[in-house]
Amino acid sequence: MWTKIKWGLRLLLLVLAGLFLHYTLPQRDVVQIINTYNKLTPIGSNWMFYSIEDSGTGAETTATTRDIRFIEAVYPDGSSVMVYRNEDTGWLWPPYFKWDSSTLQAEATNYKTDKANPQWVAVTHYGWRIPMISIFPNAVKITPVAGPDVTLIPWLNIAILVFLAFILFMVRRMWLQFRERMVDPAIDRAGQAWDRVDAEADVARARAEGLWGRFTGWLGTWQGKPRK
Amino acid sequence: MILGWLRLAFFALIGLTVAYFLVSIYSRSVRREKLEKRWKAEGLEGDRDAWIEAGMRDYEKGLKKRLLWLIYIIPMAAFFAIIYFINWH
Repeated sequence: MWTKIKWGLRLLLLVLAGLFLHYTLPQRDVVQIINTYNKLTPIGSNWMFYSIEDSGTGAETTATTRDIRFIEAVYPDGSSVMVYRNEDTGWLWPPYFKWDSSTLQAEATNYKTDKANPQWVAVTHYGWRIPMISIFPNAVKITPVAGPDVTLIPWLNIAILVFLAFILFMVRRMWLQFRERMVDPAIDRAGQAWDRVDAEADVARARAEGLWGRFTGWLGTWQGKPRK
Repeated sequence: MILGWLRLAFFALIGLTVAYFLVSIYSRSVRREKLEKRWKAEGLEGDRDAWIEAGMRDYEKGLKKRLLWLIYIIPMAAFFAIIYFINWH
């Protein structure tokens, strides 16, 4: 039972960490840009998936309604589409330190093409498109690519994940070292101290048993005989 | 917030300093353990504590100890690299 709960919690933690990384790490889509525009966007309980309100257009407009730049794009299959928002990210999280959304919007508009002669671009972005709560991935970079079939290897993500794995490994090593050098000797010492106390207690108990036994025996002599 | 960078610098300084101290404690502990094991393995004679303390003094002046500054340097380099590649490159 407890092991099941423990493993369940671990699994949950792993899934949450995975989702967090999937949201935060950059991904690249090969798309064709078909439209760019600004839209006054109400922001409510989904604020967590927009930039911190003190950055970019959030600082220029209000906290609840923000003038946000958007980029519409179509994937190489010609029918599935994606809408990116294009917002500054501010100083804290996610750590993209993007302040050039105006420039990026101009680049996006510059790459805008019609279906007849498409210009394919790789849009680097983070975040998810979830229509139900009106959230959009944030585009951070647009680079032209040779065609719709290019293979992009996510070297940066590989490097980041390897680095994170290294940090986890080091944290584990540090914890084990701490336990081996600090906790275990302390427990040993405490154990020895406890043994000593225990031994003394045994002696004391034996003595007390002698005394106490004699005392209760003496008390017993005052009781009457059990009644029948 | 204009002082956004100050807030970031503040949190980064705290976080990195905690990391620096934890790693330096760990690194020192590993070195001490290594010295203790070497003392045993080589069957050295004499004042064990003094020998280990001398080894630790060497460690405090050594390259490995200095490499710990990378804990500050790497995130800062990453920070400036990100700013450059996102906004200018």
